[in-house]
Amino acid sequence: MILRAGGYLTYYMPGRKKALRMRLPAARPLAEILTDLQIPLAEVDLVAVNRVLADLDVLVQDEDEVTIYSSVNGG
Amino acid sequence: MYGTSAKILRVDLTQREIRTEILPEDFYRLYPGGKALAGYILLNEMKAGVDPFSPENVLVIANGLLTGAPVSTATRYIVSARSPLTLGYGESEAGGFWGPELKMAGFEAVVVKGRASEPLYLWIHDGEAELKSASHLWGRLTAEVQEAIRAELGDEKIRVLQIGPAGEKLVRFAGLTNDLRHFNGRNGLGAVMGSKNLRAVAVRGSQRYQSFAADPEALMALGRKLAKGVKENPISWDLQDKGTLGIVEPMNAGGILPTRNFRQGAFEAVDEVKWDAYEKQLLTARRSCYACAVRCKREVAVNGRVSEYGGPEYETLGAFGPNCGISDLQAIAQANELCNAYMLDSISTGATISFAMECFEHGLLTLKDTGGIDLRFGNAQAMLAMVEMIARREGLGDLLAEGSRRAAEKIGGDAAFFAMQVKGQELAMHEPRGKYNVGMGYAISEIGADHLVVAHDTALVNPESLQFKGATALGITKALPARSFGREKMEHFYTLERWNSLEKVIGYCFFGPTPRSYIAVEDVITSINAASGWSLSVEDALLIGERATNMARIFNLREGFTRKDDTLPERLFQGLENGSLQGCALPRDEFEESLSILYALKGWDPQTGIPTSEKLRALSLDWAAVMLPQG
Ligand code: SF4
Repeated sequence: MILRAGGYLTYYMPGRKKALRMRLPAARPLAEILTDLQIPLAEVDLVAVNRVLADLDVLVQDEDEVTIYSSVNGG
Repeated sequence: MYGTSAKILRVDLTQREIRTEILPEDFYRLYPGGKALAGYILLNEMKAGVDPFSPENVLVIANGLLTGAPVSTATRYIVSARSPLTLGYGESEAGGFWGPELKMAGFEAVVVKGRASEPLYLWIHDGEAELKSASHLWGRLTAEVQEAIRAELGDEKIRVLQIGPAGEKLVRFAGLTNDLRHFNGRNGLGAVMGSKNLRAVAVRGSQRYQSFAADPEALMALGRKLAKGVKENPISWDLQDKGTLGIVEPMNAGGILPTRNFRQGAFEAVDEVKWDAYEKQLLTARRSCYACAVRCKREVAVNGRVSEYGGPEYETLGAFGPNCGISDLQAIAQANELCNAYMLDSISTGATISFAMECFEHGLLTLKDTGGIDLRFGNAQAMLAMVEMIARREGLGDLLAEGSRRAAEKIGGDAAFFAMQVKGQELAMHEPRGKYNVGMGYAISEIGADHLVVAHDTALVNPESLQFKGATALGITKALPARSFGREKMEHFYTLERWNSLEKVIGYCFFGPTPRSYIAVEDVITSINAASGWSLSVEDALLIGERATNMARIFNLREGFTRKDDTLPERLFQGLENGSLQGCALPRDEFEESLSILYALKGWDPQTGIPTSEKLRALSLDWAAVMLPQG
């Protein structure tokens, strides 16, 4: 899978990278994957799997592209 | 007195007189700069009903208590006067270097009255000030004027705050700029300055803030802590990395990216305007304001050269990009340059053009009106042409220079529905249908649709999040959905509004303190006390913010504003056309009910929104009771 981070979630990504490619031998809930990566779930405001909004419990497959976004405040 | 020189420079342009006034400490404790000082002066030194472009309008430029302190993000000053756009209390804040320089030159504020018989500029240097001719500067772009003033006075380090040709031409949303990159954009205050024939205020000072502070050591220690803290907090780290542009993509995903004049909440070409594209195509450097460790300002290349006007921030990109249906980043950067060279508010300019685009698509404006310009959504060249026409008041630009509300009245038909404005000021690039308190802020703000009234709802939806935890020190205890009104939500609003208003009084940037960013409530209070020698609590500090908001409210009530002005454009009560919030609308009844609740929480009459006498007494504003409408 490809995991992309939007907003300030980049801060929590390994190496502060905007995107990360991971091997997923079997489908897994996104919340578990993020917890393993030490990305705090409380900071995740939106999740999109293949550009469709989903929630943290979504089961992610190896071929998926997942984007997580932090909440947005004033600009 | 500490934290301030307490000196105000008073300038009468008609008489060409300048004098200095020293404020007593008991006054300064109630009105410690910025929004509070401006509100007091406008209420007490101007009558109701003054034409914004007349010599009787009073222009106040005021630092906050902390402006120029060696503490990250304490950079802001405000400009205030009766607004020609809203005809109410006008205010616009900016960072940069000008406010701190004014402090180092020995002044807290400049109060300008009258009208000069010929163009002038004001030159302030180390406790002295003089008026100089600006006839040779009139009509010239801001970069030329800054260079000319620095050359004339023989000092490259002079900080120049100025209007541009748009302010000279009285465009109702003309602003001010300092250092060409920091803007008092909103409310048309550049046009007020233009009406006074005052082109610029140049400043140079050699004092240091520490010499004013009660406890300079404590202030310096806090400054060091905050400088380090930027990189340890994800939100401020992100502001440093992406500036304000980092929010484009999440807003689009959340269905709250204003698109095509707020018809839609998602932009199909978002990939072409989001941060990754901006970084690749435009970015040349990251820049900052005075002593700010966040460094959220961008520098960009436009047409192959580094722009002296800085790069578009989120609001500018949103207004000329998705909200005009435009994905051409170079054109957006060019529009930013044009706004800054002529000195137009980029939010109102972009939003007035998107209004005109919708009128054009509905046949309310024709090719004859536009002078042959095909003013459809998505036409970047048409957008650029309109920016220049507005700045010069040429052709249709002359009508649009009046702002969308006045233009809609002239155009007639459904045009008023397409004017996305409150009290005459155009909405900033934030979608209330996904953030209800942002809508409440647009409605109730004294200056018309303003996005900096409260921290946005999305910051306080998860009790475990950093932003929520930051806000708990303000007494916020319950996380609430972004798309909700009601009593608890209004309690959030009441607290957060006082906090943001405090920032505008003391000089902090919105991107410094929590919950928007990283500076803890406790550290803000420490900085005020270390600077002033006072021992304010959080509640005391919130009261300062509340006092300032109430003075602005009283100004508007005195001008005849009523509850019906605390409203929102009709479109927001209808569903969004696309995106993840497709079909979502603001609930009208809940909005009205919550407005009454909010009035009551603020100590205002729940029906009329007029402050009660008890509230005025609690805020030490008894003196203003006579200014309120009776009955
Ligand atoms: S956070 Fe950005 S706008 Fe605010 S003071 Fe710092 S550099 Fe200026």
